[in-house]
Amino acid sequence: MKNINLMYLFAGLLILSSCDKRLDIEPAQSISPEEALSTSKGVQATLIGAYASMGDADVYGGRVYVAPDLLADNGDVTWSGTFQGLTQIFNKEIPIDNGFVEDTWLDSYEVINVANNVLSAIDVVIEADQERVEGEAKFIRGSIYFELIKLYAKTYQDGSPASNPGVPIVLEPTRGVTEGPARNTVEEVYTQIIADLTDAEGLLPESNGFFANKYAATAMLSRVYLMQGNYAAARDAADRVISSDEFELVDYYPDEFPYPGQVRVDNTSEDIYAQQVSDQNGTNSLNQFYASSADGGRGDIQIENQHLDLYEDDDERLDLFFNDDGSIRTGKFSNVFGNVKIIRLAEMYLTRAEANFRLGTSVGATALEDINTIRDRVGLDDLTALTLDDILKERYLELAFEGQFLHDIKRTQGSVGNLPWNSPKLVYPIPQRELIVNPNLVQNEGY
Amino acid sequence: MIKCLLYALSLCLLSIQVSYAQTRTISGKVSDLESGQGLPGVSIFIEGTTTGTITDVDGNYSITAATGNVLVYQSVGYIAQKITLGTESTLNVTLTTDTQQLNEVIVIGYGIQEKRSLTGNIAKVSGATIENTAVPTFEQAIQGRAAGVFVESQNGKLGQGIKIRVRGASSLSAGSEPLYVVDGIPITSQSQSSTSANTNPLADINFNDIESIEVLKDASAASIYGSRASNGVVLITTKKGKAGKTKLNINYFKGFSKETDRREFMNAEQYATYFREAAENAFALDPSFDYVSFNEGRLQRYGAGDPDWESNNVDTDWQDEVFRTGEVDQIDVNASGGNDKTRFYIAGQYMDQEGILIGNRFQRLSGRINLDHTINKRLTVGMNLSLSRTENDRLSNDNAFSTPIQIVALSPTTPVIDPRTGLLSGQLDNNTGLPNTNYPVYYNPLLGLENGFYKAVVFRNIGNLFASFNIIKDLVFRSEIGVDILSQTEEAYYGSATSRNTGTPNGFGSNYYTLVTNYNTNNFLTYTKILEKHTIEATGGMSYQQSNTDLNTVEGQNFVSDSYKTLFSAAQITAGTSRKTAFSFLSYFLRANYRFNEKYLISLSGRIDASSRFGKDNRYGFFPAASAGWVITEERFMENIKFLSFLKLRLSYGLTGNAEIDNFASRGLFGSSGYVGVPGQAPTQIENQNLKWETTAQTDIGLEFGLFNGRLTGELDYYIKKTSDLLLNVNIPGTTGFRTAIANVGKLENKGVEIVLNSQNFVGEFTWSTSLNLAHNKNEVTDLDGQQLGDNDLNRAIEGQPIGVFFGREFAGADPDNGDALYVRNITNADGSIDKSLTNDYNEAQNVVLGNPNPNWIGGITNTFSYKGFDLSIFFQGVFGNDIYNGGGQYMSASGSNGYDNQTLDQLRAWQNPGDITDVPEARLFFANGTNPSSRYLSKGSYVRLKTLTFGYNFPQSIVSKIKMEKLRIYFSAQNLLTFTDYEGWDPEVNADYQATNINQGVDFYSAPQAKTISFGVNLGF
Repeated sequence: MKNINLMYLFAGLLILSSCDKRLDIEPAQSISPEEALSTSKGVQATLIGAYASMGDADVYGGRVYVAPDLLADNGDVTWSGTFQGLTQIFNKEIPIDNGFVEDTWLDSYEVINVANNVLSAIDVVIEADQERVEGEAKFIRGSIYFELIKLYAKTYQDGSPASNPGVPIVLEPTRGVTEGPARNTVEEVYTQIIADLTDAEGLLPESNGFFANKYAATAMLSRVYLMQGNYAAARDAADRVISSDEFELVDYYPDEFPYPGQVRVDNTSEDIYAQQVSDQNGTNSLNQFYASSADGGRGDIQIENQHLDLYEDDDERLDLFFNDDGSIRTGKFSNVFGNVKIIRLAEMYLTRAEANFRLGTSVGATALEDINTIRDRVGLDDLTALTLDDILKERYLELAFEGQFLHDIKRTQGSVGNLPWNSPKLVYPIPQRELIVNPNLVQNEGY
Repeated sequence: MIKCLLYALSLCLLSIQVSYAQTRTISGKVSDLESGQGLPGVSIFIEGTTTGTITDVDGNYSITAATGNVLVYQSVGYIAQKITLGTESTLNVTLTTDTQQLNEVIVIGYGIQEKRSLTGNIAKVSGATIENTAVPTFEQAIQGRAAGVFVESQNGKLGQGIKIRVRGASSLSAGSEPLYVVDGIPITSQSQSSTSANTNPLADINFNDIESIEVLKDASAASIYGSRASNGVVLITTKKGKAGKTKLNINYFKGFSKETDRREFMNAEQYATYFREAAENAFALDPSFDYVSFNEGRLQRYGAGDPDWESNNVDTDWQDEVFRTGEVDQIDVNASGGNDKTRFYIAGQYMDQEGILIGNRFQRLSGRINLDHTINKRLTVGMNLSLSRTENDRLSNDNAFSTPIQIVALSPTTPVIDPRTGLLSGQLDNNTGLPNTNYPVYYNPLLGLENGFYKAVVFRNIGNLFASFNIIKDLVFRSEIGVDILSQTEEAYYGSATSRNTGTPNGFGSNYYTLVTNYNTNNFLTYTKILEKHTIEATGGMSYQQSNTDLNTVEGQNFVSDSYKTLFSAAQITAGTSRKTAFSFLSYFLRANYRFNEKYLISLSGRIDASSRFGKDNRYGFFPAASAGWVITEERFMENIKFLSFLKLRLSYGLTGNAEIDNFASRGLFGSSGYVGVPGQAPTQIENQNLKWETTAQTDIGLEFGLFNGRLTGELDYYIKKTSDLLLNVNIPGTTGFRTAIANVGKLENKGVEIVLNSQNFVGEFTWSTSLNLAHNKNEVTDLDGQQLGDNDLNRAIEGQPIGVFFGREFAGADPDNGDALYVRNITNADGSIDKSLTNDYNEAQNVVLGNPNPNWIGGITNTFSYKGFDLSIFFQGVFGNDIYNGGGQYMSASGSNGYDNQTLDQLRAWQNPGDITDVPEARLFFANGTNPSSRYLSKGSYVRLKTLTFGYNFPQSIVSKIKMEKLRIYFSAQNLLTFTDYEGWDPEVNADYQATNINQGVDFYSAPQAKTISFGVNLGF
């Protein structure tokens, strides 16, 4: 009898102890990478996640544009903000623990990892969408590597890109902590960027809502080639965008920066690719720093007369500037929910003009015709003769505060104050935290 | 050969026969020495045999024994007596109360044990000691009563977070609070607050239902709880009924509370003069701006806009507006009793505690039934069931403008009622018809207190069913199934008058619902065998726990009007979400105790734990412990040392774990990541399948002693706790796409000493006893993989330093020449020496260790007196050697250089003329003179408190029995009556609620002081 009792008891214990599988509790708000990428819908949702990551404040939320513009400033603006990181950048004295430098690095690689996740599972995507999804992911990855190589390495034309350290190239999704990669060369990174963007151009449809389309890749490619000084390729890419007739300059320049109130707006006819912002998702960090407090910004950057003096009197681009209680502000970013313009048609005319001019060609149109297209739109008289300086000045004014100052100075070998175009002070340091955790990295010159 | 054996055996049998032949029946009565009352249930046995009996209800017994036998009389709470039997046939025995309490029964994991045979370190607080303490929750009541258990309330808000550290903090980023087990069931003790300020789920427990609280401190005691025992284990045992006459008790008390102290601020005249001086000083430095007239404009604005504000003689002490006399009411009714078959304890309580700050209130309604029934000799079943409802009218976090104490920032020149509107200052701007946006200086917290609420209501059901089955003699199987259901609604509403704070013009409302269901089962066997001098006890079994949490939140704004307060009437629902999460633990445990002759004690235990929280590759952990004890006074050679009545040496070593991390920390995860209305997903967490528990290896050496027949007893312990594999968020290469990963890196250790002394100074009609506990702990973070952790002003985790050490710039007072704030450079020179020269450049000075928020010593001392019916108990509690950082100092003690916040009185010491030597830099409006985080705002935090003083009178039995009662007691009790400290803030027991973590400690940020409560009560027994 006693033995029978004991047997029952141990049988009971055994049954109870079979709850081992009860340890497999699945999270409710999250899923595993395997599950996330197991269906076509899942991979496509991950592509959306890549766009969302790309819209982070430190990437295409705008800080990859604000910070280098401040670094390149020659007295056109004054920085009066309290964000120490931007103060250091504005002063051209960047410590290796600068928070903005660190965040842009980290958040850019976050975008790249999401894109790599998409590309790793591209075979899962249904055939009808496969090319588009691959093209979008490659556009995203190529564009972000391009931002990184411009900020964290010597510019392409400084010394030998084949030996200058670039940034690490990571093309596989992360599935665990491993040793950090070393820096690839500048040349290798550019090769990767061009490969991604060329693939994207071939894979993407001509129109794709507010997502990246074929010409977003082409336009970005033209910017890459221009940065390399490959004017023919830059010209041809710009020409492919213009001649596609998919885009059209907005009649009145300030309308390119719509501000119907603090509301979400659609892309304009001129936007080739714009990072979308709404009250639910995305952020416009240009608004944060340039806009007045009445327009939802911090009013940290004020425009100096030195800049306004560059415009001709009738220039409609001047209409965007306004006096905010004693401070001059640009109205380009007054809408908190305005999209962040990544690349727009006007730049393609300017690129084609500059490349045609430098090469003495007139692919698509003459340089003069293209510059006058830009001038016409802002109510200025046509030029009758053209110099390279005219083209570069037009580019400077047309794309003012849109993140191109530093890179244009570098590729045209200009200067920032006393600093020459190739000064190490105009290159971001590799973030300190990254050097600590990845012994395979080397620091940039001058840090 | 066989013949020889048989012969020997028969000889033995014969001798037994012989001894039987001389036995006779002895009878008598066992009674209490003091009261003379017969003692029921005393066990009497013949030493060295299994022959024994117990006394009946009146204390009478009879036993068969022989002359020369040694009779042992034993009862819990009494000193055992041994009597060698002579020729008498009646033997009356009196037993003395065991002041050493070594025979006291201690609750241990999955069992009970006598204290004298214990080889681990367990601190026990009996429920009787903390009964009717006028605080919301039992941890506050045991503060200072258990050696090595540090209890600290974050602030004086009722029902809010309380920090408990058993022998120091043993984690950096995982939980550091002990595991709480009620009647065998691990309960939900983590805060379920929707804000970053914790609430306390333990406040749902009516602690008048508690029989005893045992804190398992060393590895020997705690490792039976395996992966969750590193922070100590608190076992709570609720009261059970006893067979006998039914007892009915009614307790009622009423109390009144005030704050323990106030911080001193400037009055109106001082404030105006001070800011005028600050404006002039600023103008002297920067003549490009007319600070003086700007300042006059501001003074007028804050004087309700009256150009002639000074002649109104407004002098508001804003602290008067938020502090009040809180009232406490508590009534308890309980009945207990039963018979041989069924025992019961039924209790109900209503407690209503008003805070010392307006708007703060905590109410608890609770009921309990504890029942056990003996079905037959072998089977007992029962249940413990409690239901409670708590309602907490909460206050905003310490860092919110709307928290009452932040009212001190308002100008004393501002009237409470704005004469322009006849309403509270800030409620209405006549020009806009809306609340003011720039008057007074900040949002007036009174607006939210009068036009809003924030209420948390919790229904809590903690209960278990159990069955205990004697399978065979000595072997018992026990099965327990428990639930803990916590259902919480947090509802908040802030009307339109609060728009300056909420940022929404037409009201803001929120409703958060949380349901935590926690299931547990324990199934274990206990085997006890006494073979003459050998005692073996073994316990082994399994347990499984699963906890599910469901959360729903809704937020809305744009209410129809202030009359509508539920979200139904919000025109705009701005947020809504639902989430859920869960975890489980599966465990197997075993413990074996062996005692030889009650002299040599050995205990071995082990637990295998598996949890859903950990990586598949490290799901199972093993937590063994071993301990030994040696009762030296049982040795022959000690017999002649008469003054030493008891001496035991014990030693333990073992491993425990800490699994208090996110439920899915080891996984690679994707989560939702949408893009302008298009749903999307992205990786959120990197996988670490190797993730496992933090492990603590603890060594404890202890000495327990009794002197002068137990008049003086004590315990000394020394321990070292080394925690390794700390669960840390470590930086990983950003090229992975992630910033950090949680990994097992890092080490820390705690070393300490605990001293417990209990003394019977006087016995007899007048009694005086003293009980003292003292504990010293030294914490050191030994390895952080080169990182430095910390996210607030000064608290950091740094290798080689205690956790949360204050690390920053060393303030050096005002520059005697010009009144600039000075800092010590503290730059390490090339030769390794430190540059101690001073600079007025904050950025030039280097960070150094400035102080330590962890106390060196904590302790408590209780003196209890009784004479006839009177009893008096005086309990002091103290914390020594810690520092406090005033996080609000940069605003309230800022030399008037950081906005128009009213300043603490000490700022009047500000530098004025060259040559002035002072620690307060010159007052300079807007010049932020020395307001950056530094040692300027660090103070000593040691304190001693008269924690509890109770004076009571028990009416004599002669009177009580006439009115058909068993007991009648009236008493006066005071909580926190006196506080002795050098700290100049409100109260030294503080840790700003919104930011408290393992590392963020010892910060005061407009934190509410503790309550000083005086109460009067009556206990009626029938």
